Amino acid sequence: MDDQDILTTLKILIIGESGVGKSSLLLRFTDDTFDPEQAATIGVDFKVKTLSLDGNRAKLAIWDTAGQERFRTLTPSYYRGAQGVILVYDVCSRGSFSKLDAWLNELETFSTKHDMIKMLVGNKIDKDKREVSKEDGLRFARKHHMLFIEASAKTKEGVQCSFEELVEKILQTPGLWETDRHGMTLGVDNADTARPSCGGYCSVV
Amino acid sequence: MAADEEADVFEITDFTTASEWERFISRLEEILHGWKLVNHPNRGPALKDVYTSGDWEEKSEDIFFADFKFTVTFIYLKVPESGGTDKKESQSPEQETEQDNADDESDGTLPTVFVDMMNMDNDFPFRAHCLCRWYGLQEFIVAAPASNSDVIENESRMKLLMSSISIALHNTECKVPLFVQFQQWWRKIYSGMCVMPDSTVEYEMVHLKKLPSQYNHLEGLLDIFKGKLGSTVSPRPPVSVSVRFTYVLQEWVNSPWPQSPPDFSSSLEGDVGCSDFRILPFGACEDPVSELHLSCTWPSLSEDMIVENQVYSDLDPLQAPQWTVRIQMTEDPQCLLGEYLKNCLQLCHRKETTDELLGCLFTEDSDNDQGADISQALQRLTQPSVSYNMPSLTTVMSQASSRLRIKAEEAPVPTELLNEILLYLFPDAKDSENTEKEGSKDEDSDELTEDEMRHQTYFKQLSKDLKSSPVNSVVHKLAVSLFTVNYHHGGLRAVAHLWQEFVLEMRYRLENNYFISGVENGQPNMGSCLLHQKLQMLNCCIERKIKREQLHKGYTGRRHSTDVTDLIPTDDNYIGCPEDVSMETDDAMNISVSETADNNESCENEHRASEQANMRLASNVDSSSEDEFFECAEENQSGRTEPVAGAEMVARSEMAGENTIVQSMSTSSLASNTSFKISGIPQHRPEGRLTPCGDLKLLRSGEQMYIPVTQEPSPMTEDMLDEQAEVLAKLGSSPEGTQLRAKMQSACLLSDMESFKAANPGCALEDFVRWYSPRDWIPNEGEEPDNEMPLPGEKGQLSQRMLIPGNMWVEVWQSAQAIPAHRQKRLFDDTKEAEKILHFLSAMKPGAVVLHLLPCLVHAAIIRVIENDDSDIPKLRMLLDQVIGKAAKVLRSPHQEIRRYEDLIKMISLAEVVIARAKSLKTKFTEELLDQPGAEEELNYFVSNLLQHPEVSIRGGPCGPAGSVIHKLFIAAQKSSYLVLDDETEENSGEAYRQSPTIPDFPNPSGREYILRTWVPRPAPYSKTLPHRMYCVLVDNDYRLAGAFSHDTIFQ
Repeated sequence: MDDQDILTTLKILIIGESGVGKSSLLLRFTDDTFDPEQAATIGVDFKVKTLSLDGNRAKLAIWDTAGQERFRTLTPSYYRGAQGVILVYDVCSRGSFSKLDAWLNELETFSTKHDMIKMLVGNKIDKDKREVSKEDGLRFARKHHMLFIEASAKTKEGVQCSFEELVEKILQTPGLWETDRHGMTLGVDNADTARPSCGGYCSVV
Repeated sequence: MAADEEADVFEITDFTTASEWERFISRLEEILHGWKLVNHPNRGPALKDVYTSGDWEEKSEDIFFADFKFTVTFIYLKVPESGGTDKKESQSPEQETEQDNADDESDGTLPTVFVDMMNMDNDFPFRAHCLCRWYGLQEFIVAAPASNSDVIENESRMKLLMSSISIALHNTECKVPLFVQFQQWWRKIYSGMCVMPDSTVEYEMVHLKKLPSQYNHLEGLLDIFKGKLGSTVSPRPPVSVSVRFTYVLQEWVNSPWPQSPPDFSSSLEGDVGCSDFRILPFGACEDPVSELHLSCTWPSLSEDMIVENQVYSDLDPLQAPQWTVRIQMTEDPQCLLGEYLKNCLQLCHRKETTDELLGCLFTEDSDNDQGADISQALQRLTQPSVSYNMPSLTTVMSQASSRLRIKAEEAPVPTELLNEILLYLFPDAKDSENTEKEGSKDEDSDELTEDEMRHQTYFKQLSKDLKSSPVNSVVHKLAVSLFTVNYHHGGLRAVAHLWQEFVLEMRYRLENNYFISGVENGQPNMGSCLLHQKLQMLNCCIERKIKREQLHKGYTGRRHSTDVTDLIPTDDNYIGCPEDVSMETDDAMNISVSETADNNESCENEHRASEQANMRLASNVDSSSEDEFFECAEENQSGRTEPVAGAEMVARSEMAGENTIVQSMSTSSLASNTSFKISGIPQHRPEGRLTPCGDLKLLRSGEQMYIPVTQEPSPMTEDMLDEQAEVLAKLGSSPEGTQLRAKMQSACLLSDMESFKAANPGCALEDFVRWYSPRDWIPNEGEEPDNEMPLPGEKGQLSQRMLIPGNMWVEVWQSAQAIPAHRQKRLFDDTKEAEKILHFLSAMKPGAVVLHLLPCLVHAAIIRVIENDDSDIPKLRMLLDQVIGKAAKVLRSPHQEIRRYEDLIKMISLAEVVIARAKSLKTKFTEELLDQPGAEEELNYFVSNLLQHPEVSIRGGPCGPAGSVIHKLFIAAQKSSYLVLDDETEENSGEAYRQSPTIPDFPNPSGREYILRTWVPRPAPYSKTLPHRMYCVLVDNDYRLAGAFSHDTIFQ
C-alpha cells in the first residue's frame, strides 16, 4: 500500500485474562468478523490495520496476547515500545475484572513508555449474565487514569470506537510517537547567540 | 487589508514614475506605508532598562536604487501589552490619522525622537543595536547595502540618497528616524534624519582613529558640542552630562588557574593511581573566565559640577554612584570532560577491526603458546577445586594473557595497568576479604550533605531515565575505563586491546562457570543498553549451565539410589515408550522426541548406550564430566561423534580421578535398563512433579493432579526480541499467518504439556486445561465446585474453543510425550546462545564497541557533571534537566545515531563549562577578600548573578561588599603590572597601595562614554527650543562622536 501519507506507525497491545475476548475484539476491528469459535491464542498474535483519523492516517500494529498465566512469562517481552494498550475484561466474569490490577502491575513493570495510553474495555455486553456493572468499570478506569468503554465483539458495539479513541489520544500526546516522515529534527537551541542584524549588537569595549 | 489597498494605490503611481530615483522614493514610501509608520502615534518614554530587558523586533524589505540593492529594516522595541497608556493610544489610530498635526502638538506629547533623546533611563545599555546605544532610539529604520561588499563611499551618492530619503519622509509624514549606512559595514557609519511637521533632527557621525588630544576629555567634547549648536542665546542653558568609564581587569592575581592540578597527570605518566581510570576527568584546563569589565557610571551631572581636562579629573571610579560588572568568558575553553567525550565520539567513525589494530602485536610462535596453554590448564586442574569458588586474580590474569598472546612490552595498555583495570572490573577476582572491606567503606559515607542528597535524587532519576547500565555494573565501569585508556594510552588500539581482554574474560567465565560480577541476574533488563543485556544474557546462560550440570549430577545420583522403583510400568498409549527407555539409560540421548522412532533405532540406541557404559567402566568416568557428555548429545543422534566424546572423557577423567561411585552407578543403570527392556511394562512412573495443583484430581483416575516442573522460558535480549517480533509480524494478518505464528510459539506449550503428562500419568487434555487455562474449563451447573469428595470424573466440559476439532491445543496435546522437563529438548539452548553472544562481542569492531558503550559513557558523564555541581545555579539546573531529557531520548531511540550523540555531548560540555565558570568565579571572589563580616551572602548573591546575567549592577556601588572585593582585585592587578614585589604585608596591601601615590588603584579606563544633552533654540535664537544630544565613545584607536541635532523648520 502507499505508506507515503501515513503519519506514524503505532504499536498497540491487547491484554487481559484468557477467554475475555481479546482476539475477538481484534478480529472485529480488523476484519469486521466474529467467530464464536475463536481458537485460544498461543503466545502472541499480530494484526495490522490502517486507521484514518481527522485526515491523519496511522498504521496500527496490534499485538494480541494470550491470557493464560503460563504465557505471561513470555508475552511481556512484547510490551516494549507500545504506545497504547487495551486492557480487556469480561463483564460476565467478576474474576476477569478483579485480575485487572495484576495486569496493570505487569504493564508498569514491562512497558518502556511510561506515558502510554491505557484503555479499559468491558467486553461481552451482549450477554445476559452480567457480573460487573458499568459503574465498576468506570470507577476502575478513573482510578487508574484510563479510557473506558464497554463493547461487544459479537454485536460490534463500541469496538471501532474504542480503537479510534485510543489512537486519537495517542496522537494528541506529544512525545509519545514519532512521525515516519523524516527531516523534522530540531537542533540545539541557541537563542542566546543568534540575533540577525547589521552586526550592530555589541558591547562598547 | 487597508494597508494592501493603499499599497495598490502606490503601485499605480509607481508605473508612472520616470526615473530610478523616483522609483526608489516611491518604493520607500510604499514600504513605510506597509509598515504603518505613517501618522504613527507617539510612544511614551521608554521604561528604565527596557532596552536590554525588553524585546526588540525587526522587519525587513528589499529596495533597489537602480541596480544597487538595499535592505531596509525597521527596528523597534516591542511595546509591552500590559501598558495601559499604550493601549489607549493604539485603540484610536484611526482617529489620530484623521487628526491634523497641529492637534498632535496641542496634546503636549513630545515626538518619540525627542523623548528618546532626552530620556536618561536607558543611557548605557550593555547590549543593544549601535544606533539605539548612540541615539537612545526605541524605533528607527536602517537602509544598508544588502551585501557587505557593496559600499557607498562617494559623497555625491550619499547626498543623493539622503535627499531621496528626506523627500520620502516628507511625503509620507513618517516621524520615525531613517538611517543610511555608508562606508565599509564594519565601520558602522550612519547618517540619518527624522522629519517632523515643524522640525527635523539630523543624525551625524564622526569616526576617527585618533582624536586630537585637546578633545580627548569632557572639556574638549563639550567645546565640540557647543560649537555645533552655535547657540547665541544667553544665558545658555547648562549641558547635562552622563558618563560611563569602563575598566578591564585581565589579571587575576589572587587566583591563578588552575587552582589545583587535575588528577589526570598521574595516569599520563603511566603510574597507576587509584582514581585515574575509574572516574572521568572533569574541569577546565584553562581559566573559563578571562576578563572582568567594571563600568562606573555617573548618570546625570551638570557640566558645571565636574571638571575633566588634560590635567585634572573629577571622575574617580571610587566616587561613581553606579558600578556594574560584566564578565568576559573565555571562548570555548578547553575542558577535560568535553574533550574526552569528543575524542570518544570520533572513535565511532573508525572502521578498523581488532586484528588490523593489534595484528602486529600477536606473536607467531604458537607452539610455545600451546605448551603454555596446557601447563596452564593442568595447573588450573590441579588446584584444589573446593576451597575457592572464584578465580584468584593470578589465574584470571595468566589465563587471559596466555591466550591473548600479545607481546607485553608492545601492548598499548601496559600489563600492570591492564591488571589493575581488570581487577577493578571484576572485583570478585580478588580475595573475598578485600571486597568485604571495600563494601564496608562504602557504607561509611551514609551521612549525606544537602548537596549529596540532591545529587542522589538526580542519580536515581538518571538510572531510571537513561537506557544505559546501572552505575557500578561492569559495563558502566568498562565504559569509563575504556575511554580513559583511549585518552591516555594510544586511542583505538588501546580500546581494542582492553576490549579483547574483556571478551577473553567473558569466555573464561563461561567456561569455568563463574558468574559475571557486576551484572544483576535474571532476564535481560530491556531498560538497559544492549551490551548490558548481552552480559545479563550471558549470565543467564552460565546460570542454566550450572543448573543443568548440577541437575545432572543430582539426577544420576538419585537414579542410582532408586533405579529399581524408577521402572514402574507405563501406559500402552505411549508410543514413545521404548525410546523413553533408551533416554533413561543415557542422558546423552534425551532430546529425541521423534515420533518416527522405530524399534531398530531404539535397539541401536540401546546398543550404543551399553557401549558407552562400558567405556565409562573402562575409563573411570567422573561424574563431573557428564556435562561435556551432555553437550555432545545432539550430535550423538547421528551416532558418529561418539568416540570423540568418549576420548575426551577419558582425558578428563584421567586428570581428575574420582571414580568408584560412578563405576557402580553406571553398571547399575545398565542393569536396570536391561531388566526394563525385558519386562516391557508400559505404565510410566510420575516424574518431575513440583507441587500438588490445589485440590484438583485427575478426571480419569481421580488421583491428585500435580503441577509439573517446567522449563523456564528463554531469556531474550532486545535485539533477539525485535528479530522474533519481526519474524512473527512478517507472517502477516491472514488467518494462515495466525496459524503459523501459533505453531511457531507452541514449543513452550508442548514442553509444558509433556511435563504435565510426565507428572500426571493417565491425565487428559481436560486436566491440563484445568491447570493451564482454568477459564476454558466449564464446570457443569448445579455441581458444587468445592466438592469434598469429588468423583473420579469431575463434571464439566472444555470450553467451545478448546473443542474445535484440529485446534492447536488438541494437536499439540496429541503430539506431546510424557517427558519431564529435564529430559526435554532445551527450549533455551544456553550453549548456543552463549556462543552467539561471545561471537557478537568478539566480532565487534572497536568502533562499534565504542558506540555500544556510549550510553554508559553519557550516563557517567552526566553523573560527573552533577557531582561537580556544588552551586545552586538556576541556569545550570535548567541546563541539566535539558541534558537529561535529551539523553533519555537519544539513548532510547532505536537507531543509535552518532550525530545525535554529538548534540548531546555538546550540551554536556556546555554544562561543564558553566560549572567551571562558577568555580572560577567563586575562587576569584573569595570570602577572604571581604572585610565586612556577614557579607558572604551578598557576595554569593553577586556571583550567582554574574553567572546568570550578562551585566550585574553592584549593590552599594564601590562601597558595597562586592564593590570592595572588586576594588581589591584591581589593586592587586595594578600592583603586579607595575611589578611591585609582593611583600609580607599581604593583608594590608590594599591600604598600603592606596596611599602610595605612584600606583593608581585602577588602570586607565579602556572605554569612556559621554552623553551630552541640552535644550537650545536652533538654528536661530528665535527658533523653537529643541533638544540636542551628542554621544561620544572614546576607546583606544576608535573614537566616535554621534550627534543628534534638531532644527526648527518654521522659524529659521
